[in-house]
Amino acid sequence: MIRSFEKRAEQKISGFQSPAADYLEGRLDIGEKLVIDPHSTFYFQMQGMELQSFGILDGDILITDRSLKPVHGAFVIAFSAGCFTCRVCLLEKNGMVLKNDHDTITETEVDVLQIWGVVTAVCRNLLPKALKQGRYSNVCTL
Amino acid sequence: MFALCDCNNFYASAERLFRPELNGKPIVVLSNNDGCVIARSEEAKACGIKMGDPEFLVRDLIKKFGIEVFSSNYVLYGDMSERVMHNLARWFPKLDVYSIDEAFGWLGGIKGLQHYIPEVRKSVVRNTGIPVSIGVAPTKTLAKLANKLSKKTNGVMVLDNDEKITAAVKEFPVHDLWGVGRQHYKKFEALGIRTAAELRNMPEMWFKQNMTIMGQRMWNELWGRPAIPLEVMREVKKGITVSRSFRNYIEDPGVLAEALTLYASRLAEKLRNEKLRCLYLQVFLYTNKNREDHPQHFPSHTHKLLIASNSTTDLVSIAVRVSARLFRPGVKYRKAGVIATGLVPESELQLNAFYDHDHGKKDVVSAVLDKLNLAYGRGTLRMATEGYEKKWRLKHEYLSQGYTTRWSDIIKVK
Repeated sequence: MIRSFEKRAEQKISGFQSPAADYLEGRLDIGEKLVIDPHSTFYFQMQGMELQSFGILDGDILITDRSLKPVHGAFVIAFSAGCFTCRVCLLEKNGMVLKNDHDTITETEVDVLQIWGVVTAVCRNLLPKALKQGRYSNVCTL
Repeated sequence: MFALCDCNNFYASAERLFRPELNGKPIVVLSNNDGCVIARSEEAKACGIKMGDPEFLVRDLIKKFGIEVFSSNYVLYGDMSERVMHNLARWFPKLDVYSIDEAFGWLGGIKGLQHYIPEVRKSVVRNTGIPVSIGVAPTKTLAKLANKLSKKTNGVMVLDNDEKITAAVKEFPVHDLWGVGRQHYKKFEALGIRTAAELRNMPEMWFKQNMTIMGQRMWNELWGRPAIPLEVMREVKKGITVSRSFRNYIEDPGVLAEALTLYASRLAEKLRNEKLRCLYLQVFLYTNKNREDHPQHFPSHTHKLLIASNSTTDLVSIAVRVSARLFRPGVKYRKAGVIATGLVPESELQLNAFYDHDHGKKDVVSAVLDKLNLAYGRGTLRMATEGYEKKWRLKHEYLSQGYTTRWSDIIKVK
């Protein structure tokens, strides 16, 4: 992936040229680790605790890539019974099922529902309330 | 070989991607100000809704068939278009984006197109969720024709030999050909030319005598001889316009100034994006010509700047001043606009000996303005004359969300 360089503040050097000037590399960008294909990536947000036992919590941002195939064990965004839902995709004896802590959607229903994309990662704010202030209230929060 | 890729019912498809419950249902998208129908799903076409139908004329149909209506959400369409084009660009050595939902691709020496093109289509549709159709042929005109035909063959049509081309042009209506406008069509109709096959069977001499150079190119292209290159270069713009209808009539010069402030600001932004400055700024006002009971007034004035500019402050102050002069009390204005002409590249600044140049001060202001508005959203920093209430602002009652461009608008899942 090509790293995009954010423009550094223009340094007007009054004294000595920085010895690091010849060794500048782009600073790490978390986007590289979260979004592999930006033109196929979309975002959703988890609402509720239906996936708690899988470690996905209320408010988590779900990074979703449409280019991936939903295979056994993948978390997917699906559209079922008139709304979007996040489920884990499991291949069972009778075919594919979509599960969360609450219920299971079986293959017969899978025909009608559409798998919209595969969730590649979740983003979550870990700050306690006292620190969720000012610009830090934006950390993984909509 | 050339390919023409286009998105099926693009705006409607983009809306439906985020509202899957509407799959298989009729939906329409309305133009700016919710004026007329500019996109329809297949189901809406079947309900008898025509392209360009004014909203108020089809209101009954909308009710009768329960058609879902959307205001145009260009933020969403722009982003989805970019995704489609980037995905397409991965498959073509060269891609020329022709419009928001169409692109010509050049296939170079890629072999096995019968297998390659369905792959392309599958990948783009999967990655973006937007259905696309791809027509492939030796020339752009034929690729466009193949694309039209592909709508009935699962979205792919590859015309890679003479037999296929001959079969494709045989029944193809001549008015659906790329580059055939109303004028040409009349000419063809008078001669009894109905299909593309009949047109290309006309002798070349006839084209030379009766048609422009474009007609001759079309003739060659229909025979599979490329005459129109893949234009990777955009032609230089001659003018840039920002114009919009108001939600309600404007009868107050102050309110008119607010609207023109917004339009001129947007125009300055567009100029800076293109790295151009303008020497002339035209301001125009329209009344509603369909209302014969209203006094009509279509004034326009072109102002010549002393020095070419793309600064928001310059263009806004001119637009506001000119509009105040054009305004006539007692007239209900329906639409206004600004047009920048006499465009010169930013780098070629011609100074004027009698003008006190600001040595780039305004450029600095503009740069700050653009930077802030890019980071925090359009209109974050704006001219105060734009006002706060903006009652004249476009109507978009049925606007969907910025699913892919605004964090607050991403879809919640259970």
